[in-house]
Amino acid sequence: MKPVEVKTASGTTDSGKKFVAAKISFPLFGYVLKRILIFIPTLFIISLLTFILISIAPGDPAETMLNRSSGDGQASNKLSTDKAYRDLRHKLGLDLPIFYFSFGNMAECDTFNRIAKKDHRETLDRLIYDYGNWPQISTYYQQVNALEMSVLTTPRDSTNADALIELRNLVNKLYINSKDVVIADLLTGLQKNAAATPSLATVSGAVQQTQAAYELVKKEETVWKRYVPVMHWSGSQNQYHRWLFGDAKWFGEESDPTKTKGFLRGDFGVSFFSKRPVKSMIWDGLWITMLISLLVIVIEYVISIPLGISLAVRKDSLYDSSVTVALFITYSLPVFWIGTMAIFFLCSPDYLDIFPPFGLGYATWDDGFFYKLGDLAYHLALPLIIATYSSFAYLSRQMRGSMLAVLRQDYIRTARAKGLAENVVIWRHALRNSLLPIITIFASFFPALIGGSIILEFLFTIPGLGQITYAAVIQKDYPMILTNTMFAAILTLVGYLVSDILYAVVDPRISYNKK
Amino acid sequence: MAAVQQNNDQSYWAYVKRQFRKKKTALYSLYVVYFFVAVALLAPFLANEKPLVCKYNGHLYFPVFKELAVGFGLGEFPRELQNADWKNLSYDFVIFPPVPYLPMNQDNDNIHSKGPFDEQVIPSTRWKHWFGTDELGRDVLSGMIHGTRIAMTVGIVSMSIASVIGIFMGALAGFFGDNNFQVSRIRIWMNLLFLFFGFFYGFGVRSYAITDALGESLGKGLVQLLLSIGIFAAVMVLANLLATVLKKIPALGKQVNVPFDLVIMRIIEVLNSIPTLFLILLIISIVRKPNLYVIMLIIGATSWTGVARFIRAELLKVRNLEYIEAAQSLGFSNFQILFKHAIPNALSPVLISIAFGIAGAILTESTLSFLGLGPADTVTWGQLLSYARQIPQAWWLAIFPGFAIFINVTVFNLIGDGLTDALDPRLKQ
Repeated sequence: MKPVEVKTASGTTDSGKKFVAAKISFPLFGYVLKRILIFIPTLFIISLLTFILISIAPGDPAETMLNRSSGDGQASNKLSTDKAYRDLRHKLGLDLPIFYFSFGNMAECDTFNRIAKKDHRETLDRLIYDYGNWPQISTYYQQVNALEMSVLTTPRDSTNADALIELRNLVNKLYINSKDVVIADLLTGLQKNAAATPSLATVSGAVQQTQAAYELVKKEETVWKRYVPVMHWSGSQNQYHRWLFGDAKWFGEESDPTKTKGFLRGDFGVSFFSKRPVKSMIWDGLWITMLISLLVIVIEYVISIPLGISLAVRKDSLYDSSVTVALFITYSLPVFWIGTMAIFFLCSPDYLDIFPPFGLGYATWDDGFFYKLGDLAYHLALPLIIATYSSFAYLSRQMRGSMLAVLRQDYIRTARAKGLAENVVIWRHALRNSLLPIITIFASFFPALIGGSIILEFLFTIPGLGQITYAAVIQKDYPMILTNTMFAAILTLVGYLVSDILYAVVDPRISYNKK
Repeated sequence: MAAVQQNNDQSYWAYVKRQFRKKKTALYSLYVVYFFVAVALLAPFLANEKPLVCKYNGHLYFPVFKELAVGFGLGEFPRELQNADWKNLSYDFVIFPPVPYLPMNQDNDNIHSKGPFDEQVIPSTRWKHWFGTDELGRDVLSGMIHGTRIAMTVGIVSMSIASVIGIFMGALAGFFGDNNFQVSRIRIWMNLLFLFFGFFYGFGVRSYAITDALGESLGKGLVQLLLSIGIFAAVMVLANLLATVLKKIPALGKQVNVPFDLVIMRIIEVLNSIPTLFLILLIISIVRKPNLYVIMLIIGATSWTGVARFIRAELLKVRNLEYIEAAQSLGFSNFQILFKHAIPNALSPVLISIAFGIAGAILTESTLSFLGLGPADTVTWGQLLSYARQIPQAWWLAIFPGFAIFINVTVFNLIGDGLTDALDPRLKQ
């Protein structure tokens, strides 16, 4: 129950500031060190979680990259695209298991990622859930593959052309359906189409084999296996290992240019879509987003804190209520609407042509430092206004609330009673004690530095990190998503650590080593 | 004095209620919330294309009630009314709801967003679109009324989820810190081990059962979800029963610290590090159909961290104050002190953040609609706002929902203010 350990080596001094500094820093030092050490496991968990989230998200980057049309074209054509697809997945390492080990149930298959197509994997996963017997389901899947091949390789003539098209349709449906009724329907449909034409005898045979395999899946179901938890071990040949450590040699020159060095050695990979190194892409967006975010934070705090204090001091006056209403109005109108309105009315020759509607200008630093600076300011003015206006309400409201809580304390009454000027009471005695919520909010700005305001960057077509991140998420650009998340994570951790230190600095009663 | 003391002891919350009622602005704000809730509940009676009462072909009908009954699976509309054009039937006698439009119905005479003051093609003032129409000719007032239901549910449900989780987690982290909560070693082991089993049997093996049921209907989905949570809870209870038995063994029963602060803050860091938009996009793409309840769950599940961090920061301070020490020396249990004495003194920033959160959730929903990720089968305030973006001249598409959100932010903040004052015994006079 003691307050922070007091380090009195420098003797008792009356100089308040020095004393506080000495008192704070020592017990905090160990705490900060401990926290920084904990960064490592936290970052590990975040990266792993991102990996898992990416892998369960629908859609497959390889599929998008090849932009393949599903199932059309001749047999050879289809075979070559299938091969290209498999090769691409192999090159990107998507056919590897996610992590060193995985928890699952006994029914599951641990080499699932080798099955190339995502929709097929989903269907098979559902079948495993329903029947719990991977060996039989695997046989069934191979039979469907064989059936597809036999449909594709059957020479086409005038008697069977229609039937073949229908058959191919049905097979494609068979791949993505897992409901018993639907599969039974599809199989009878296939059988009917194949039996109708004599030249499709091989197909008919394949259909029968598929049917038999499916019957076996249903007959030999082992649903109980689903309830037995097991651990699959996959060793170091996994996506996570490859991303973190890379597969290049640790010592000496690496001759193979396709090998990667891994995140730990500063190799963030190459974007799946733009084919540019992730590092340079992020760097391009980073300075813009950083600049905007820092300006936004400064503007918000410089305006909101004095505003909140003045509202608290004049609580329930006309000033308080009218400013509060005005702030709430600004908060209520969503940024995307105000932004659009501003662009429409303030940036168009039809109304007021005050601000540029988009971009950051074409001036370069070579045109003269002040010219570039002016151009940048001119382009950033409106985005900054739009980005900041809605936060004033929340920040100043928090400041007002905590200031009010402090102003009720006895020591404030004491300070007033001993005749201190109101300004001194507020700024010297009350402010420091009312900063906790403000610090809490401050910490969450750190990750915003990298996330940026997606909406803002969209509205004003600013090529910042927000846009890059959004595009990466939509396109499933794994290296981009991972690198972004890791940087956001590091900033979040730093932000929270800074806020925890600030808590103890502004309020000496706060200690983290309380026994 | 003694009598007052006793009275206070009897019920702190009754006292808070009395104090709250003294503050007029807060009280009126509460009435405004009641009004919104009433509009939300009565939406089908306030804005509907069907008449409230009508006499048709000599029969008396109550079509709106009937519609509700049909919705619950009780009864059917008579055949001649099943696909009726309610607006143009020749009634003997009819009373329409105050707004005779449904939010999704298109009025083909008034397409291309007619404003409240524009000339509208309507049979009489009774059919006027008081708040105008949108691009497709849908009535904005009706959209506002039905949107109230969604706004209220989104705001209140998601922030309730966020505040329950947030206050609980934040309180554990802030009050107990890293060194103030001891349990036996075996209990920690058992809880960690059974956490895995709980997830495995509660959610892992039932993943498809839950998603299937959610796809079918919300009710069935909730039943399956509750079942899963029940299994999870049962497994955890079992873990603790086992631990209670096993801690009799001396080696296992050794008391160790639970670093609540460390663990909970790490969870918050992990959650906040993953971009929210990424999480939302991901979950929506897994669920496939952007469903309102999913959006509420996501907003709730991602915004509890803010509440938790506010509570934690305040409690870090509060736990070192003298009165907590006093309560401890009086022999109150830790949880008694936490919930009765510590949390009420840490609520001010939390109430503000919840008040803003309710409106924030409504705005998040509108931003999702703006990005094209909102629910498709209903009209929400947010969607109206995002239509407004496409047609800047149509101010009525922005002003009305914007005003409604403004009222929400304001009243919830005033209620929060009133509660802060009522919770503080220093303002007793």
